Parts: sequence; structure tokens; C-alpha cells
Amino acid sequence: MNICSAIVHAKPEVAGIVQASLEEFAGVQVHGGAEQGKLIVTLEGEGDDALADTMAKFNDVSGVINTVMIYHYCGDEPADMEVMK
Amino acid sequence: MKLTRRDFVKSNAAAAAAVAAGVSLPAIQVANAATADGMDADGIRWDKIACRFCGTGCSVLVGTKGGKMVASQGDPDAPVNKGLNCIKGYFLPKILYGEDRLTQPLLRKKGGKFAKDGKFEPVSWDEAFDVMAEHWKVALKKDMEKNAGQPVDKMTSSVGMFGSGQWTVWEGYAASKLMKAGFRSNNLDPNARHCMASAVGAFMRAFGIDEPMGCYDDLEHADAFVLWGANMAEMHPILWSRLTDTRLTKKDCEVHVLSTYEHRCFELADNGMVFHPQSDLAIANYIANYIIQNKAYNQDFIGKHVNFTQTATDIGYGLRPDHPLEKAAKNAGKGALSKISFEEYAASVAPYTLEKAAEMSGVPAKDLERLAKLYADPNKKVTSYWTMGMNQHTRGVWINGLVYNIHLLMGKISEPGNSPFSLTGQPSACGTAREVGTFCHRLPADLVVANPAHRKFSEQVWKLPEGTLNGKVGYHAVLMHRMLKDSKMNTFWVMCNNNMQAAANLNEESYPGWRNPANFITVSDPYPTVSAMAADLILPTAMWAEKEGAYGNAERRTQFWRQQVKAPGESKSDLWQLMEFAKRFNMEEVWPAELLDKAPEYKGKTLFDILYTNDQVNKFAVQEVKDSQGNVYDNDEMADFGFYPQKGLFEEYRMFNSADNIIKKGHEMAPFDAYHTARGLRWPVIDGKETLWRFREGYDPHVAKGEGVKFYGKPDGKANIISAPFEPAAESPDKEFDLWLCTGRVLEHWHSGSMTNRVPELHRAVPDAVVFMHRNDAKKRKLRDGQMAKLQTRRGELVARVETRGRNRPPEGLVFIPWFDASRLVNKLTLDATDPLSKETDYKKCAVKVIKA
Amino acid sequence: MSDSGESKGKGVNRRQFLSQTLKTACGVGLMGMGLGFYARQAESLPAMAIRPPGALPEEDFLGACIRCGLCVRDCPYDILSLGQLGDEVATGTPYFYARTDPCEMCEDIPCVVACPTNALDHELTDINDARMGLAVLVDQETCIAFLGLRCEVCFNICPIRGKAISLEYEHNVRSGKHARFLPVVHSEACTGCGLCEKACILEEAAIKIFPTHMAKGELGRHYRLGWKEKEKAGKSLVTPDVEHRYNLPEGVQYDLQGKGLIVEPEGQQQSPFSSNPLDRLNRGLENQ
Repeated sequence: MNICSAIVHAKPEVAGIVQASLEEFAGVQVHGGAEQGKLIVTLEGEGDDALADTMAKFNDVSGVINTVMIYHYCGDEPADMEVMK
Repeated sequence: MKLTRRDFVKSNAAAAAAVAAGVSLPAIQVANAATADGMDADGIRWDKIACRFCGTGCSVLVGTKGGKMVASQGDPDAPVNKGLNCIKGYFLPKILYGEDRLTQPLLRKKGGKFAKDGKFEPVSWDEAFDVMAEHWKVALKKDMEKNAGQPVDKMTSSVGMFGSGQWTVWEGYAASKLMKAGFRSNNLDPNARHCMASAVGAFMRAFGIDEPMGCYDDLEHADAFVLWGANMAEMHPILWSRLTDTRLTKKDCEVHVLSTYEHRCFELADNGMVFHPQSDLAIANYIANYIIQNKAYNQDFIGKHVNFTQTATDIGYGLRPDHPLEKAAKNAGKGALSKISFEEYAASVAPYTLEKAAEMSGVPAKDLERLAKLYADPNKKVTSYWTMGMNQHTRGVWINGLVYNIHLLMGKISEPGNSPFSLTGQPSACGTAREVGTFCHRLPADLVVANPAHRKFSEQVWKLPEGTLNGKVGYHAVLMHRMLKDSKMNTFWVMCNNNMQAAANLNEESYPGWRNPANFITVSDPYPTVSAMAADLILPTAMWAEKEGAYGNAERRTQFWRQQVKAPGESKSDLWQLMEFAKRFNMEEVWPAELLDKAPEYKGKTLFDILYTNDQVNKFAVQEVKDSQGNVYDNDEMADFGFYPQKGLFEEYRMFNSADNIIKKGHEMAPFDAYHTARGLRWPVIDGKETLWRFREGYDPHVAKGEGVKFYGKPDGKANIISAPFEPAAESPDKEFDLWLCTGRVLEHWHSGSMTNRVPELHRAVPDAVVFMHRNDAKKRKLRDGQMAKLQTRRGELVARVETRGRNRPPEGLVFIPWFDASRLVNKLTLDATDPLSKETDYKKCAVKVIKA
Repeated sequence: MSDSGESKGKGVNRRQFLSQTLKTACGVGLMGMGLGFYARQAESLPAMAIRPPGALPEEDFLGACIRCGLCVRDCPYDILSLGQLGDEVATGTPYFYARTDPCEMCEDIPCVVACPTNALDHELTDINDARMGLAVLVDQETCIAFLGLRCEVCFNICPIRGKAISLEYEHNVRSGKHARFLPVVHSEACTGCGLCEKACILEEAAIKIFPTHMAKGELGRHYRLGWKEKEKAGKSLVTPDVEHRYNLPEGVQYDLQGKGLIVEPEGQQQSPFSSNPLDRLNRGLENQ
């Protein structure tokens, strides 16, 4: 399991459109922050490279100013494992 | 919903980014990544529940996540504990997750078939209930033949059930109905027989209504406390911390402690008194004598509110009738009260002078006098507490009554701070065992089987034809094991307790009774306890938070909780088991034709139909169980039965205590839904108002203006002062068995330890039962601290480590051992002598020999 | 003594420093430290390893102990281990860890009796005089007794009952109606057996055994405790105070040493029940 989160800075007036574009990437979920132009994004993928590639592509999305990675988790346990079992 | 690792990590990741960005994601939105609505930021859903252990009734908040209980905290809004717990409460979630939880029914089998001498094998619920019902039907058929033509008060029964003060309220009620209405058997008794029966007997004799008149607020209002055989410091830890606080913060507050050995309460005691076993009878009579001699009694109070009576004496020890002690007793088992005058009462206590009491008890005279002066001081508000020291006593009803005598003589009763208060050891000894009629002589709400009017009223509430209910008192707990041994009771269902570890005299009565080939024993249990090991069929049980429940604590507080998690494997709640088992019986198999002729519409139906789909129990349709934050909870029984059985059962039970035509007032309860919102309500609850102190005008709605005090449980509104003398214990030390043996508990473990021993931290804290003894007694036997000693009584023996330095300090001549340790069955040692009135075993006194192992 | 004590102190500090560094460095570089690290560590004892009862001061003990293992053999509870190559404890010397295997404090102290060299001091004949270390309640923030919960497992298990660990009662200000039962360790009685540390129900014990020199603070040598000195002397060390008198309104007293201003004088209830309590108690009966 490989999950990271990032802040995607975007111009507030187009943040809604940026959000929609980001969500088209596989494994990407936007949790909020469009109003302030700071989109809270999580990415999930198969290896570090895949995540890095995806994140790099964010910068190609029109309206995106910058992407900052905040949190990275990689672990061996299966992602579908029920917590606290 | 399922909470996966992915969801969990993602929500953390998003939260971290949000914090870094200074973006406030709505809390719910963050949680949504991982959890449902109404959970906290950790994804934990919190809800209230009553603690699973003692009778204090602390409220706990438990946190569940991913279908598992992962967190707990003391409930800060609970008036009893204000966010605190004892060490057992601290570990509550862990009691559900012992590694050896039972998850499927297990039946003794040989060659694919049930065999009494077979090995336990997993079976389906269907097979389990088939085999069990087959045995029950044989017994019921035999009973029906035997009872043909007999009046109801001569009916016998060979089926039996042993229940619990740890059952939820509706489980006890459903069991009472199944046994008494369905199987027409009064052989239903709770483990509270070992615990509270003496208290119950004394309440009924003195006040005509069960349970304490005061409440825990006495802890803050009393000026002094007297402990009569209660180690509150360990057994009611949170109440003890309140008592200690009052002692610390209230000027001139005093604590007096009476016990047969020094225990942790002596650390706080201003007047600690160690008395010779059984001499509490003399001490209590001395105090009454002191009050009378010094004319300190409250004449106005006793003139208006008290009758004086004398109880029958020389009443034996509740042993088998052929025991020499029973043969020698003039009035074995007699409890009749005869009215006497004040002067006759005064004369009856006159022999108990200070000198005599000091001599009999071994307590220095000045200490006894200090205690007597405290009670006799009209300006001191005194609350007395007691538990097993007074209840587990061959004169338990008497000694309970003797303490009431003191309070009644002084009028120190039924007002803030002035309370004789009987504490309970189980979470629902009051709420379940006592209130819904699970004793072998009782029906719900203090009604009794021997009273035709009470039976008639119960038959009406339960929609039974007249003459259904058995009028003969059934077998009590101790008698059950004797009857099993004698093959007079042949099927036995044990639920929610561990009686093979609890019942006295295991070697001579319990074990031979259970393993008697004539009998079929079923044990419902979540863990492989000693009882389960001795059974024929084990049914895996959903425990505590795995079902919707209700408990009633010692201060009449009824508390509800919702089902928090699912039970593991195929485990099912006791309620489900009771109701489902009823489906196995056609009415023709349990009731004779002449009874069915009185209710022809019941013919061809099952017991389940008559008892539980009677348009009352099944009155409430399936609904979503939801808290105020919108969290939705499971209710597995509702899902299985297609109606809301807990609510239906409780509302039907309320017809016994709150309907307009009830026989005995004073038990009124609020509607079902009210308890799911409140942190417990203290009954009687009338018009939504709780009652704190009973029998006192202004506090108790049943006492009319101008009446002042009224003990309305009695027809004339007066309480009984009951004269009872000192009589010796059933077995005292002699030349061979030269020490007293006293049994009890420790703070870290609860009762038989089946739950607390499965919490690794508690097990590590106190792994083994040790025998506490005086250094000199150890020395005399060439024993040193930490060495193994053999304890022998006339009934059995065990080996335990000697402890002379520990928390309990027995005087010379007495040893103390706790009974939580399943690897040292203390009940092999104990004697099954009981109080002949309450039938409660005296676990505090028998003769023992201690030698080097 | 002072010399050896200091060098021991340094050793322990270095040990602590190293182990701390190791923990926080996430294991990076652990392998690189290799055997040289082991070689140095036998000089001193890690804080959590406790010597058997009667052990001489560490420096002396290491000199006297001949690594024979007899104490380990004779321990009836099998709590003692011998340091092995690679352990943090000097190879061949006996120790125990309180959290898992505390000393059961045998009355006959078989480990001391077995010691052929007096490394375990044969003068120790009463186990209550042993000073293996000192229990310290290291964390009041997690100790559930300090949080107001009823635990007291350490107090209950302590074999020097009431003396090595006592409970102090304190009003629980938050709940308003409960008391807190706070465990307090007394160094004059604690043997450092470790039963409390083992029994502590927390995931990481809040009470731990430390070597005495690490666990004890020391008052400045110049300072005495006034109330103790007075108690010792049985009187005031200087001229006793004069009797003070005050201008006070009627009915008001001033208690200099005790309660200060007393507006409602005591005994106003005029009841002192103790003197002749029952004269006034008789209500009603005579009227009949």
C-alpha cells in the first residue's frame, strides 16, 4: 500500500475546475480546500515512481500553481485489511 | 461499515495536508474518508454503557472502530463516577477479546452422538437445541404425569435454570417468563442467591419492599460511616474514593470499620475493629442495648413508624435435613415473626452488655463503645454499608435486620446521610436478579409465587389461563445442586455465571450433581470456565456490549446501553437463546390438556408464540437504533426475531411495576426510551422524576403530605425492629481443623475471574490466589512467606502460596483466600451451610487446617 | 567511594546517551558500531538491569564477582540471569529485570548465601534491608492513580507494606466528590525488589526501579527541614515564640499556629458528645 497526500495550489477562481481535472487521475481523491485555492489531495498507487509521476503531471493541469507533498505512507500490509484486527 | 487500512491511512494523509495548508476541512469530511457520521477524529464511535463488573454501576464511554471495541473512558457526565474507573473498568474492552472466546456450540459426543462421558465437539445451534430440548421434553413429560390432578401449590418440577445478577434486565425477565409461565417451574434462581439473598430477606421482613431506601448521595451527606463486613476499598473502589473524599474534606467525619480481618479499609479507619467470626450478632445487639440503656432512642420515631417483633430462634444451618445440626435444631428454617413490646425487645438485647460484647467479639471495649456512641448521637448522620460479610452468613437475614434495628431505634433512616445501605456485588443484582423475579420464590416486582393474588395478577399480565403459574416455591441455588445429585432435578441450564467455581462444597454436592448420568447440564458462557468444563452442552454467549442491555445498580439506578459490536462467531445473546429455545416446544408438550382447554386458542402453538409474540413483547416493530448524533447501532435480536424484543419485554415488565392496577406500588419505572438518553434513573420514577430517598415525605412521592415517614411496603406503614440473638456458626475451628477460613475477593479481579483473568495486565498484577495469614500462624506451621501451603477442610484441599505481608492482615486464628483463581477452586473447601431464611451460603466461615505443602 | 561513584556515574551517563542516540536515530548506523561498542559496555550496568540483593557498589561488585553463577542456580524463582556476550551487562554477572522477573524477596536470601566471594554481601541477613535499587513513580501523567482511577496495584503488591509505598489521599478537584489515592515511594524502606514495576498495569510501567544514585535527588548540604529538626530536638531550636494577643471583636478567636481567624468559636454546638453524650440524647421517653 502506497499513499501520499499533497497540497495543490491553484488559482481560487479555477480551483473547482482543477479539482475535477485532478480527480480524473487514477487513485486521486480531493478532500477540499478549493475555496482557499489549496486543494487537499490524496494519491494512492503501486510504487513510489507511479505516485511521483502522477504528482508531476499535476503541474501540467492548467490552473495549478504548485504541488507540495506532505505525507507519504508505504507499508506492506494489505490495504483492505480491517483496522485493529 | 468496514473500515480498511487504506481508508485509515488516507484520512490521516488528508488531515496532515489540511493542517499544513491551514485549510480546515469540515470534520465530517475528513472523517468521511475513513468513517461514518458521528465519529470522532480518530474514527472512533463513542457511546455510553454501564460497567460490566460490580454493583457500583459506573458509567463508561466505549469507543468502537471497525467493528471492534478499541477504546474506553470513564463517563465524565455520570453522577456515580464522574469520569473515573477502577482498574477493572480501565480494561473493560479487553474482556471481550480473550483468546479463548467460545464461538460455537459444543456438545459431549461419542461416536457421533451425545454421550454424558463423551468429549466436547462443535455442533450447530440446531443440533445443540435438538439434543437439549429432547432432554427437557423427557423431564417435562414426567413432571406432567406426576402433577396430574395436583393443585398448583403442590406441583413439582425436574427442570431448572440458574441465572444471574449479570443478566440484562430483559434477559432475566424473559427467563422468568420461560421458566415460570412456560415450563410452569419455579426452579429458577440467580447467582444473587449467593450474594444478596440475605439482604433481600431482611428488606422484606423489615420494610416489606426490597432494595435500599437511600442512594449514593449519602456518601457526601453522612457525618460518619460504619462498614459492617464490606471491603469497599477493593470491592466498590469508586464508592470508596467518594467515601474517602468525604472523610478528607468534611470536618469531624469518622470512619468505623468492622471485619474479621484487617483489610484495605482499615487504612482510612478512625476506629478499626477486628471481631471474632459470627460475633457481629453480639456487637449489633450491644449497640441496640447501649441506645436503650442510655435512653438515646428516638421515641417519636419508634412510636410512629416501628413495630417490635421477635424472630424464631434455633433455626439450623440450611444443611441437608439428615445433617446432625439440622436434626438438633428446634425450629429449623423457621422465620416467623411474633409481635413483642418495646420492653420485651429491650429485655432481649439487655444481655449484650459492653463487657459481654467485648468478650465475645475480641474487640476492645473502648472501640465498641465509641461505635455505639456514634450511632447514639442524634447529631451525627450515620451511613452503614455492608456486603458479603453480612450477607454470606448463616444468620445473614438476622444480622441485616439487627443493623436496621439500630437505625430504626435512632430514626436514622431514609434521609440524606442517614442510611443503612446494603451494597451489591453484581452489576444487576438489583435490576435483574431481584426486580424481575428470577428467585425461586418470586415473580416480577416483589410479587411471590406462593401468593394466589400475586399469581393471578401475573397470569393476567402474561395473558395466561388462570392456574398456570406454579404456586410451590422452587429449588434455590444450593438445593439445586443437592437435587441434581439426588436425581430429582434432571435438566439444568446455567447462564451468565460460573457456579461450578462459586457454589460451596464442590466435591460433595456440585460436581457429583452435574456429572450425574441422570442429568443434562447446559452452560451458556463466553469462555471455557470451570462450569463449562463440567457441562454436557456449552452454548457460546454474546456478552455485555455485544447486545442491547440494561442493568440496575445498588442505588436503584437503571442504566441502558445499545449493542456496540457483534459477538464473535456463532455466539448469541442469552436473550436470543432463551427465546429461540422456546420455539422448540409445542404447548401440548409443556402444558396438560386441562390447562390448554382453558385457553383453546393456544393449542397447536409454540411456547415462543405464547410467551414472546403475545402482542405485548412483539408490540414494537423493527426500527433503527440510533443515538442523538445519528450513529446507527446493530440489534441482532431485533434482526433475528423481526420485532424489538428488548423494548417489548421491558414495556411488558413495566405492567408489573407501573400499570394502574399494580399490587405493590413503589417500583415505578420510566418508559423504555427514556433510559437510552439518561445516565440512569433511580426508581421509583413517577412523572419523569427520580426518587433519591424512599419512605420520606418530600423525597418519596408515595409518602403523602403530613405523613413524614411511611414504610409503605408494610400494610400499616411501619417498619419492623426484629429481635434476634447470637447463635454460633455452623462450623468453628476445633483441634484438628484449627483455623477459621474466610473467602473473598481482590480489587484486580472480579468474582470467578472468568473475565478479568483474560486481561493480561490484570492477570500479571495478581496471577494467583494466595492465602493471607498471620505471621505467627505461619511460623507455628513452619511456613514462610512465599512457600506453598496446603489448605484442608473436611470437604477438600488446595495448595496456595503463603502471604503474611500482603494487603489483608488476618488476626491469629484466621486465614483469608480470594476465590477468583480457577486453578485453585476455593469452593472445594467451603461448606454449604446456608442462612435457613435466605438460603444464602456462608462463604466466610468454616474450619480449615493449614500445613506445609 | 566518591571516586568510584563518579566514574560509575559517568559510565552510566554515557550508556544512557548511547542508547538514547540509538533509539532516536532509527537504527541507522547500528551495524557500523560493531564489536567495539560491545567491548566498552561491560564497564557499566544499564539502568534497567538490577543486581541481586546485597550486591556491593557496582565497581566493587564487578571486582568481587567471580562469575560462578551460584546465585543464579540457587534463586528459587529463577529470576536471575547471567550477562552474556553481547548483552549490556558484564558477561557472567548476575542481574534481573524488574518488569519481567522481579525479586520475590525470600526471607532466607538464598542467592546471598550461595555467593562464595561476598560480592553479594553476607552481612545482609534481613531481606528488608536490601537496597537493590529504588522504585520511582516516573510518570504521573499516565499513572492512573494520579488520574483519579482506583488502581493502586503497586501499593497492593509491595512486600514492605505501607512503608515502601504508601498512599496519600487527596481531594479530586475535577470530580469534586472523589478522592485520589496517590502512591508515594519511601526510599528508607524500598528494597528495589521490582514487584511494583512488574505489576504496573500500564503498557509501559509508570513506576520503575532505578539504581539508587540515579533515582534520588539530594538536598543542598546546607539546608535542613525545619519541621523535622524541631521534631528531632523535641522543641524549638531557638527561643520559643511569645504568647500573642490580638485586638478582636467579641466571639472571634485567632489561632496563630493552626486555623488562623476563627469567627465561629468551636464548641458553639455546646454538645461535646464525648464528655457526657447521652444526657441530652434522651428525647421523648420521659415525657410519656
